[in-house]
Amino acid sequence: MSNSSSLVRYLGSRLLLAPVMLWLIASLVFLLLRVAPGDPVDALLGNRASAAARDQLRAQLGLDQSLWDQYREFLGALLQGDLGTSLRNSTPVGEIVRDALPASLELGITALVVALVVGLAVGFSGVARPEGKLDLSGRLYGIGTYALPVFWAAMVMQLIFAVGLGWFPVGGRFPPTALPPQGTGFYLLDGILQANPQVIWGTLQHLALPAITLGLLLSGIFERALRLNLRRALRSDYVEAARSRGISERRVVLRHALPNALLPVLTITGITVASLIGGALLIELIFSWPGIAYRLQEAIAQRDYPLVQGIVVVIAALVVMVNLAVDVVVALLDPRLKF
Amino acid sequence: MLLAGCRPPTASDQAPLVIAAYGSIDSVDPAQATTVIALQLISALGDPLYAIDGQGAIQPKLARALPKLSDDGLTATIPLRQGVLFHDGTPFDADAMAFSLRRFLAIGKLSYVVGDRISAVRVTGPYELQLDLRRPFSPLAKLLSFASLTPISPTAYANYEAGFRPNAFVGTGPYELRLQSPQLQRLEPFAQYWGEAPRNDGIALVGMSTSTSLYGAISSGNVDVLLSTSLEPEQQSALHQQANQGELREGAGPALGIGYITLLTDRPPLDNQTLRRALAFSLDRELLTKRVTDKLRPPLRGLVPPKLPGALAAWPRADASRARQLLQQEGYCSGEVLPLQLTYRSNVPTDRLLALSWQEWLRSRLGDCVRLDLTGMESTTAYRQLGDGAFQMILLDWMGDYPDADNYLTPLLGCTQSEGNRCLEGDSASGGSFWTAPGLEEKLRLSNERRGQARLDLLDAVQREAANGVPYLPMWQTRPRAWARNSITAPQFDGSGRLNFASLSRRSLP
Repeated sequence: MSNSSSLVRYLGSRLLLAPVMLWLIASLVFLLLRVAPGDPVDALLGNRASAAARDQLRAQLGLDQSLWDQYREFLGALLQGDLGTSLRNSTPVGEIVRDALPASLELGITALVVALVVGLAVGFSGVARPEGKLDLSGRLYGIGTYALPVFWAAMVMQLIFAVGLGWFPVGGRFPPTALPPQGTGFYLLDGILQANPQVIWGTLQHLALPAITLGLLLSGIFERALRLNLRRALRSDYVEAARSRGISERRVVLRHALPNALLPVLTITGITVASLIGGALLIELIFSWPGIAYRLQEAIAQRDYPLVQGIVVVIAALVVMVNLAVDVVVALLDPRLKF
Repeated sequence: MLLAGCRPPTASDQAPLVIAAYGSIDSVDPAQATTVIALQLISALGDPLYAIDGQGAIQPKLARALPKLSDDGLTATIPLRQGVLFHDGTPFDADAMAFSLRRFLAIGKLSYVVGDRISAVRVTGPYELQLDLRRPFSPLAKLLSFASLTPISPTAYANYEAGFRPNAFVGTGPYELRLQSPQLQRLEPFAQYWGEAPRNDGIALVGMSTSTSLYGAISSGNVDVLLSTSLEPEQQSALHQQANQGELREGAGPALGIGYITLLTDRPPLDNQTLRRALAFSLDRELLTKRVTDKLRPPLRGLVPPKLPGALAAWPRADASRARQLLQQEGYCSGEVLPLQLTYRSNVPTDRLLALSWQEWLRSRLGDCVRLDLTGMESTTAYRQLGDGAFQMILLDWMGDYPDADNYLTPLLGCTQSEGNRCLEGDSASGGSFWTAPGLEEKLRLSNERRGQARLDLLDAVQREAANGVPYLPMWQTRPRAWARNSITAPQFDGSGRLNFASLSRRSLP
């Protein structure tokens, strides 16, 4: 069987498994939310209201139905692409996700760019002199940023650069005194499309600190991956062969070793998407960034079952799709891979 | 120069004032909004029938006069103001008010606050409304100051009579809602407002997700005004000190929130009244409030905030020797230590500090008599289990929906079915204390019907009885605070504890 038909079969099986995985995740979240003590009415009314008033509100929100009925309703709607309606404000979950997702993607993509640029630059910097000062500093940087708790690091960055130095706003996505741009939901892109420097500047001001913070924290993964893979590549036979043919070291590194060392980094980028979402949760929380992760945290605190379920399903679908896309790209770039 | 270029731009004189508060606002529909900050926003966008001013007096807003009660006290007639327009240009009248009240009674998430009192709403004239009451209810005007009863335009909400409209608000208030997103609301002055126009060019209300962000935002000048909701005690204290030193301007509202400890009175060991009384003597409120909140929360020895008519400081002051005496009377202190379990809400910073401080106070003064064990629990999880009697003692707080003694005593002491001192059904049971006293419910009911001194006497009697039974240990009062930059006028609150957005303006500095 040819490699391309194997790839098609592999992708087909992945695509077929994706809905099963999403169903499992959705069911697990559905169950876990209901097992957790406290429901939306407790979150909404706190310690006020009588038992009768609570029961009335439970009935109004449909929480008096049996668990099976609720599950059947949820799954039935999900199959039709309906993520349900938020219990807090009766807004369709799809609409909430549509509003919040661009903010998260804007932050995530920018952070990923920062992580790649910084991580790869630091990882590459030690190539010339392995075990030299630059290489050791790079390793220390990689371990340090990888090990730093996101919550702590983000707060320190906020305190230094926003509160202390006042270089950046403390939080938010856009200057509150201006009206946010209408369009794609990606403010930076909207600013560029509308050729509006105020929108671009306002967006960059707010985006910079959270994106740099998240990017720096993720960059360690890329630094380590590139450094290790580049080292391995530089010791491989084909590099030795290239050197023995008299090709310059610069050309050996850039043309022969680096492309091969970057392939695993691409795979790691796919895996990092999941970490990005985890890291983004805390970053969005600390910088009051109105993204999907922040909404998820609020929805969990408020026991907004449909919103939590909907956001988790969307995030899971995103992770599945990104990983699948990375697999395809890697397979296309690396002919050695067999499926 | 490069660094200066990085600085966030400062607001111009025409720019809206930026007010920061904790959390998001999911809905601005008065029938759906439940959070303090959402109700604060609705107060700026709409007008209630009555408002409580800074001195605690009732002022007619969209009503022209106080409700006129029928002889049997079961019907209230309210004359309404004329010449008021909704933000969509339609006129406010009795039909509009009736529409809003009926809608809230039918679908309002907090409708239980009103539904127990008002049975029907009738239009008796273009500008006259009649309310049928289930029972005579003397603090009716105060109930009608509840922010959720703010009228909305029947035209704008025609398609939302039985459903919610979370992202728009069309009321009669001094501001129109220009933009609503969970973390940012933009308010612009309503040009056709019937009352005094706002003193600013608009408001941007920003929601932030951590106390550190809020504190940082006012410290770094990112925002003009900061509301204290959910701000950590140390940061409130720091801002208070900055205000004392003239670096910020501080405003405080009436103390309408109360913090208290609920005691589980229907099972051992706290079914023993003497032990509960011993605990009442072992709470050094002055010391604890100083340690935990730097005196920003005044001590409280009653269930009703002291500023409200009918409040009584009926609980005793701390007296370790008296507490010891009572504990000895029950066989403790002579080698026998009473183990007690106190649950605090782990997501409320002051709760944990208070629990730890009280634990230490008891250990140092009554360590041979009482041992206090602490458990932290997320608030929603705790609320779920209150009615199950899961907590021997739990730290809670309460903020009345309207500023009247009834809205504190009934939710804490109300009991519809009882057996001696044990409440089987009602607010006291669902709140986790399960305590009542013979005749107490009747006194509560009568206190809502009577007026003047007769009412105050009944409220007095209810509170004395509660202090004697000790189902709760009142701890402290909470008052809303706001801090403004020096270039802004000092924040002012109304008698319901809402920040008056319209009174804020940029000061002309010399």
